[in-house]
Amino acid sequence: MTNEAQQNREATLNPDGSVIKADEIRKLYGDVPAVDGISFAVEPGETYGLLGPNGAGKTTTMRMLAGLSPANSGAITVSGIDVVKDNRAVREVMGVVTQHDGLDGGLTVFQNLFLHGFLAGLSRKDSKNRAHEVLEFFGLRDRSKANVYELSGGMKRRLAIARSMMTSPSVIVMDEPSTGLDPQSRNRVWEELAVLKDAGVTVLLSTHYMEEATILCDRLSIMDNGKILDEGTPDQMIERHAPKEVAQLRVSPVSIRTVRGYLTEQNITFREVGALISVTGVNGDRPDLSGLNDVEGVRTSYRAGNLEDVFLAITGRELRDG
Amino acid sequence: MSLAIPTPGIRRRSVTGLWLRHAVSFVRYWKFVITWVLIEPVIILVAVGFGVGKLIDEVDGAPSYAEFVTPGLIMGNAMFHALFETSWNAYNRIDNDVYETALTTPITITEITMGDILWAVTRSIMTVVGTATVAALFGWLNHWEAIGIIIPAIMVGITFGALGFLFSAVAPHTTFLTLVFTLVASPMFFFSGSFFPISILPDWVEPVAWFMPLTSAVHIARGFALADLNITHLWAALYMIALTAVIWPVAIYLLRRRLIK
Repeated sequence: MTNEAQQNREATLNPDGSVIKADEIRKLYGDVPAVDGISFAVEPGETYGLLGPNGAGKTTTMRMLAGLSPANSGAITVSGIDVVKDNRAVREVMGVVTQHDGLDGGLTVFQNLFLHGFLAGLSRKDSKNRAHEVLEFFGLRDRSKANVYELSGGMKRRLAIARSMMTSPSVIVMDEPSTGLDPQSRNRVWEELAVLKDAGVTVLLSTHYMEEATILCDRLSIMDNGKILDEGTPDQMIERHAPKEVAQLRVSPVSIRTVRGYLTEQNITFREVGALISVTGVNGDRPDLSGLNDVEGVRTSYRAGNLEDVFLAITGRELRDG
Repeated sequence: MSLAIPTPGIRRRSVTGLWLRHAVSFVRYWKFVITWVLIEPVIILVAVGFGVGKLIDEVDGAPSYAEFVTPGLIMGNAMFHALFETSWNAYNRIDNDVYETALTTPITITEITMGDILWAVTRSIMTVVGTATVAALFGWLNHWEAIGIIIPAIMVGITFGALGFLFSAVAPHTTFLTLVFTLVASPMFFFSGSFFPISILPDWVEPVAWFMPLTSAVHIARGFALADLNITHLWAALYMIALTAVIWPVAIYLLRRRLIK
């Protein structure tokens, strides 16, 4: 890792001290609101997440903030720039990682970076130097001459992130940075994002992975159906909405009816996620499952409440339902 | 939304940046690309000039059929290149999010069309220069004025570059793009006076043929090739410019509708 790769421009702040500010923004597709009047602000150096299922309006929100899609109403300010009035200026200061990598298959890895930097306004020389730096930083130097379609999914995503760093932006928006990646690649992406955060880069990301939101985000909003339902740090959100503990029962198929019957009889609410039955006690206390001790093929474990539980509590739906 | 949405100035870097992207990609694949720049037009020139030309003695004011057909073939081929660039290639760039990525830099839709059309012009010039050089070696371009063919080459690049976007910007899938060839390229290639003077067409077809922009381009190119320029060549040029002035804003409008959701 080179030091240069971490030296990003200092963020210009909005009048209220934030870097990104969305105020009652709304976006309609036909008559259907994709984003329905949401407001939030991202502070300098902060990693802020929009957590919600597919179709919640996260991508539309990111595109509006990045000046790629006009809002129907509301105000967006990024680094003091009125995005509604001047969407070109915001694209000068902001790095953007789009959802589908958007790599250019007609070019090599290096050319993808170099030409993006040139298009963004760097001189040829600066763009070349910078491309070498970010390749080094993202561990892609030995793939420099490769065709992009030869790269693994994880490398493609890291290249897309590397590309957004070409102009050393102080603020980056990332649409689902680790969607579709295997766990190992995901960890690698998370590590690199942590380094960017250390370098003081302000990051707005969208995700439908609660692990990602928990690990990366200082603060987050829970989004559903184009609206923000609640906002806070991951801990605050969990404290506010999630049970302290959730019992998870792994039940063999022969006993599943017995278990369902018992829980229903005892008036214990439960939900089945895949092969797991999750049980939450009343008022967050540990539920009484002693009646299941004698049932064959039931394994019980307990885990702490998490952002999935928060989402369920707020929306009544699973985050992964999509 | 109105057709002509005002763009806050033109950023030169956007246009050169996109052009450079195409040039870099072109250089990477030059071994393949050289075939369409040189080999393909040479095949057509030889077949039509030596082959068909042997059967035809006399044609409308040209000393030989080969000399008549050369500027027509050169322009027809330039048209294919310009159209291909902004229909097929641009469609792939839409589909693979290449424009989406470009739009994360301070580029506008207008500048995207400018960069791509500039490349279409470049392709047109490359193929025209290559083919014309070969034709000159065969003795089918015999006037120094033929250098002026570069002018209709540029015009073909612009007009058909803009026209190609009308298809790529609305295409739901690549099969749709075959319409570019069935509706635009093929009829124009055969009916714009490349192979025979349009005056020999039935009376009702002739005005239709003049409506096709390639007819104007061939007319201008032939004027330069045979060193026989008059006021009609100016009218042809003005028609192409006027047509482009209509097509290009529509192309920008359609591409914006496609990319800025």
